[in-house]
Amino acid sequence: MEVSERKYKLGIDVGGTFTDFFLVGNDGSSLVHKTLSTPEDSSVGFIRGIHEIAEKLNLPLSSFIEKIDTIVHGTTVATNAMLTMKGAKTALVTTEGFRDALEMRRGVREERYNNHYRNVKPLVPRYLRLCLNERIDATGQVLSAVDRKELDAIVAKLKSEKVEAVAICLMNSYLNNEHEKQVARYLRDALPGLFICASFEVLPSIRFYERVSTTCINAYIGVVIDRYLESLLDKLKKIHFKGVLMIMQSNGGVVTPEVARKIAAVTVLSGPAAAPIAGSYYARLLGFDHCITMDMGGTSFDTSLVVNAQCITSTEGEIDRRRIALPTLDIITIGAGGGSIGWIDQGGLLKMGPQSAGSLPGPVCYDRGGEKPACTDADLILGYLDPDYFAGGKYKLDKEKAAEVTASRLGEPLGLNAQQAAAGMYRVINMNMAQGVRQVSVERGYDPREFLLICAGGAGAIHAGEICRELEIPMFMVPAVASIFCAAGMLLGDLKHDYVRSYICKYSDIDRKRFLELYREMQEEAENTLSEEGIETSKIEFYPSLDLRYAGQFHEVPLEVSMEEILEFRLDDIREAFHKEHNRKFGYELRTEGTELEVINVRLRAVGITEKPVSLSASDTNKTCSAQQAFKTMRMAYVPEDDEMQELPVYDGDVLGEGVLIKGPAIIEQVNTTLFLGSSYHCETITGGSFIVYNKTLMPEGYKKKSLITENNMK
Amino acid sequence: MTGIKIDTILLSIFQRAFKSITDEMSISLTKTTRSPILCEAKDFVTGLYDADGNMLEQTENLPILSFSLGPVCKVIIEQYGDRIFPGDVIIHNDVFSMGNQNNDVAIFKPIFVEGKLMGWSAAKGHQADIGGAVQGGYNPNATEVWQEALRIPAVKIYEKGVLRKDVWDLIFANIRLNIVQEDIKAQIGACSLGERRLMNLISKYGIDRFEAHKQELFNRTERMMRAEIASVPNGVYEGSSKVYYDGKHPGSEFEIKSHIIVNDEDIVFDFSQSSPQTNGFVNGTFTSSCSAITLTFLQMVDPNIPHNEGMIKPLTYLVPEGTILNASYPKATTFGNHLCPQIADSIFKALGPAMPERVTAGWNHLLCSLFTGNHPAKGEKYVDICFMGLKGGSGALYGDNGYDHIGMIDASGGLLDQDYEMYEQQTPHRIIRHEFLKDSGGAGTWRGGLGVETIIRLGGENTTMVVFGDGDVEENYGLFGGKGSVLNSIEISYPDGKTYKSLSKDIIEGIPAGTIYRQVAGGGGGYGPPHERDPDAVREDVLNEVVSKEMALREYKVVFSEGSSNPDLEKTAKLRAGKNTVA
Repeated sequence: MEVSERKYKLGIDVGGTFTDFFLVGNDGSSLVHKTLSTPEDSSVGFIRGIHEIAEKLNLPLSSFIEKIDTIVHGTTVATNAMLTMKGAKTALVTTEGFRDALEMRRGVREERYNNHYRNVKPLVPRYLRLCLNERIDATGQVLSAVDRKELDAIVAKLKSEKVEAVAICLMNSYLNNEHEKQVARYLRDALPGLFICASFEVLPSIRFYERVSTTCINAYIGVVIDRYLESLLDKLKKIHFKGVLMIMQSNGGVVTPEVARKIAAVTVLSGPAAAPIAGSYYARLLGFDHCITMDMGGTSFDTSLVVNAQCITSTEGEIDRRRIALPTLDIITIGAGGGSIGWIDQGGLLKMGPQSAGSLPGPVCYDRGGEKPACTDADLILGYLDPDYFAGGKYKLDKEKAAEVTASRLGEPLGLNAQQAAAGMYRVINMNMAQGVRQVSVERGYDPREFLLICAGGAGAIHAGEICRELEIPMFMVPAVASIFCAAGMLLGDLKHDYVRSYICKYSDIDRKRFLELYREMQEEAENTLSEEGIETSKIEFYPSLDLRYAGQFHEVPLEVSMEEILEFRLDDIREAFHKEHNRKFGYELRTEGTELEVINVRLRAVGITEKPVSLSASDTNKTCSAQQAFKTMRMAYVPEDDEMQELPVYDGDVLGEGVLIKGPAIIEQVNTTLFLGSSYHCETITGGSFIVYNKTLMPEGYKKKSLITENNMK
Repeated sequence: MTGIKIDTILLSIFQRAFKSITDEMSISLTKTTRSPILCEAKDFVTGLYDADGNMLEQTENLPILSFSLGPVCKVIIEQYGDRIFPGDVIIHNDVFSMGNQNNDVAIFKPIFVEGKLMGWSAAKGHQADIGGAVQGGYNPNATEVWQEALRIPAVKIYEKGVLRKDVWDLIFANIRLNIVQEDIKAQIGACSLGERRLMNLISKYGIDRFEAHKQELFNRTERMMRAEIASVPNGVYEGSSKVYYDGKHPGSEFEIKSHIIVNDEDIVFDFSQSSPQTNGFVNGTFTSSCSAITLTFLQMVDPNIPHNEGMIKPLTYLVPEGTILNASYPKATTFGNHLCPQIADSIFKALGPAMPERVTAGWNHLLCSLFTGNHPAKGEKYVDICFMGLKGGSGALYGDNGYDHIGMIDASGGLLDQDYEMYEQQTPHRIIRHEFLKDSGGAGTWRGGLGVETIIRLGGENTTMVVFGDGDVEENYGLFGGKGSVLNSIEISYPDGKTYKSLSKDIIEGIPAGTIYRQVAGGGGGYGPPHERDPDAVREDVLNEVVSKEMALREYKVVFSEGSSNPDLEKTAKLRAGKNTVA
């Protein structure tokens, strides 16, 4: 292929410490790049990274830019605005009598015995929660109309308080949105500069707290996302970017900046959302439809599930104890990462995290003033990391200092030496992470032993083996792009939009006409939005689902169905599928008892298929070495199976060819990732520079594609 | 067990594993039970015990269950001796053999490793019905246990893995609702899960290592607890609180009197001078009263202390039979769990002088309505406990305001409100207001948590309302100069204009559609003199309309100039200075 015809797609994942870039050419070439994040304005690091890549490629910026046809961007701007309470000054307009739902959060205190545990500050303070004497009843009938005079008073208040954003959420608007429409229209006319959103535009479904909370989040971060995207688009324009910019959404899809600016709440978990997408891709390369992904970063450990090549989504999400009920990839995040600090509780037990040393001051070994031993210090003391080859030697680590501090802070009180204390830290944090994986699998009714684990993050592969041993997971994969996993996954995102309507009735009372009408409505809305985003009708796929439960139950079960089943109104088939799903999730069904079902919500996901890169491998022609050729040195490292330090071979993973077998215990070092093989494991390299690690005892025949899944129980 | 070296890391791993097993059991129960009091209100507990019935760990979703399983486990071990086999399932609710409340039915499964009894998994949940004279079990007319419930002393419903169908049928022939059978099956399921996980864990590390490390865990937890107790000055501390109205004799009053003896690392909770038992259902059981004592003390110590046997070992409970806190056979006791707020008050008041920085001012007491009736649009019966209405504020403490709308201390924020829109679908009622009540938080340097006003228009004909609770006579107390809060109350206004103020234990029948129900759940008491509250905190409360300017002036001595939302700091300082000199 001529160089001039070469086109690129670029995934950009802005994280807390690093901004990750993954560039893929239409000829299959690829490039990994990392640059320091710029938290005060993350678009700065974003643009700087593009400059740096152009330099790496020896191209002038202008000719590099014109070759990029798509940039997909995951951002933590919304997340950070939420976590640091730096969103817009927001007001809420709601029904008289319901002013405090947002703040009450249904009256929960998460820590039962801790009287110093405070409620979270509401995103909208009480004095900006303004009430209207309107009411729609539980059948959708208007009991009292919206009063213009009250609206005028509200407008005056919003002006005098210099509010920047307004959320509108009225009782029972999921049945009748006329009042919300009136209020939104009135406020938009009266206050043209403000970010205004009504709950029916964000989440038109039953459950007032969920809706008011989600709508307020949308308004609160709407202005922030709007400003950020404007500044980013402006900077891209200045460097003459003419391609398409897409933003990663919490549901694992992408969205154009124009749509993201309206429904900003879809970007709340934009960052980690690409991991299961990438996981699904790599699992399929190996012939697996199911996998668990884990991504171990500096402060947090994210894990998620892929079943039947689909990422699991849920509407039960929370951010910082505030409900967000939009469909969000079911990602469990726990406070465990390279920066997690080891400490001793009052009873003398060793604990890890959730406090993190972050990147500043960082772990002790960074020698930037950190005085508390962190996970990375333990990994260093245990010999997994080479103090002179961290990030390929870019940073020098101070092993002696790490050992000294670990010994004095943790070893002494525990009666252990530095190495023993570090081994304890290693085992405890592995246990914590295994618990996260258990939460995302076992607690969702899935057996982790039937899954392939895909391991990402620079330090993830040091810990994955022990996490797998704890959960009896027989095998894990370390993709070549492990260190920038999410940036790679972003390039695989399709445009995805979720629609919901509440339709509450007994299953046997479902009215065909009304039911199909609701789907037609959602389908039209989807087609309009996707066509605005430049997707042809032929490239749209629909995935309907229903929220169902047995009559009398409180928790509904989301059930995925097919568009044919919906359009042909095949309710018997759907009922049958519900019994099965209920059984799979909860271990029993009420098929024979003849228990009636209830429908709560009907949902539709519309997917606009985007063009995908030809390959996601980190291509590199230098990778031809045998194990012998890649052998670097012998190093003392901790082997958890034997609970002792042993002398292990260290290999250069960046030069290993395809199909090479490395027997554990061993260490495989790469610039951006380190892989530790305990004595339970063997490892094989596969196409594209990825590693397959399998348990010798659980898989005595060695690694074979698809060899661990018993396909039952997965449908 | 000699010769086993304690591995400090393995200790952490065991503790983490015990916790995650009981958590997993708890999640399984939430998702599989059907009665709202289990799957929504989470009125259940899951736990693991060793072969002697010592608690390894438990997950109590509502603190009132913090002491409820261990004593029963010991009764079962005693009763069956060596006749315990793998595959057995034992059921129990009997309040005269260490049960806490008739409706709280426990399931126990023994756990064997290498043929040896190593422990127990257990789950106890509040059942929607347990037989007796009244559906649901709250029978204010009861004087004996048989009018309240079916007694189930420990009995095997499975032996060696085989269902004893005759026993099963006998039990459920005496319970009105089929849903209870389903919920009991869910509890058995959760216990099987716990059994499997603990078996795997013990097999993995070996019986000897498990035993040695378990003991070490108990010892360390006990040491943590003892260190907490040692930080309390030695002495005998006295406190008292009152229970009003036994459901039969209007105006009746009872006293809950605590003598708390702190002696170095030991603490004794002596309630023997409390009132004698009542002739109604307002009586505690030994286990429910000890739960209340335990949970109150847990609120004053490091919340990170693990919940195992070591936690309760340094605590001595003196709750003699025949008192209102431990009724003798065969007295009625269903109200017993709801004596928790008064027990907590009595303890907080006693320990206030000794632990001023750890006690809280008075929490709002429970006052609760249960509606039953027909949903005309659906043509179906419904039962609804009005959780949203019953939740007032908690008491303030040193350094923090009380928590708004948290509900009684027995639950400490574990009970969820119904969702308003779901509520209007599931009942014929329409919510008119559910908001914080202005000026309901007891004034103090730290303000009591806010109470809540609930107004509901009742729909459907012929609604029955059962009321149970307290807190409508004496206001929650403030501490160290802090003030009390407003009283609980429930009042209904009939369509014909008549009104009725409910008693704290009451049954009101035949309520017509259009009746307006108004409930106030009071706030928590304040802590410290109100005039020492940071004027900026008062400003914020006034801005947010949870404290009126009148109250700001009267209680907090904060002056707002006409039309301004900011306090006049000069005048405030003057007023406060004057107050100090006068006082």
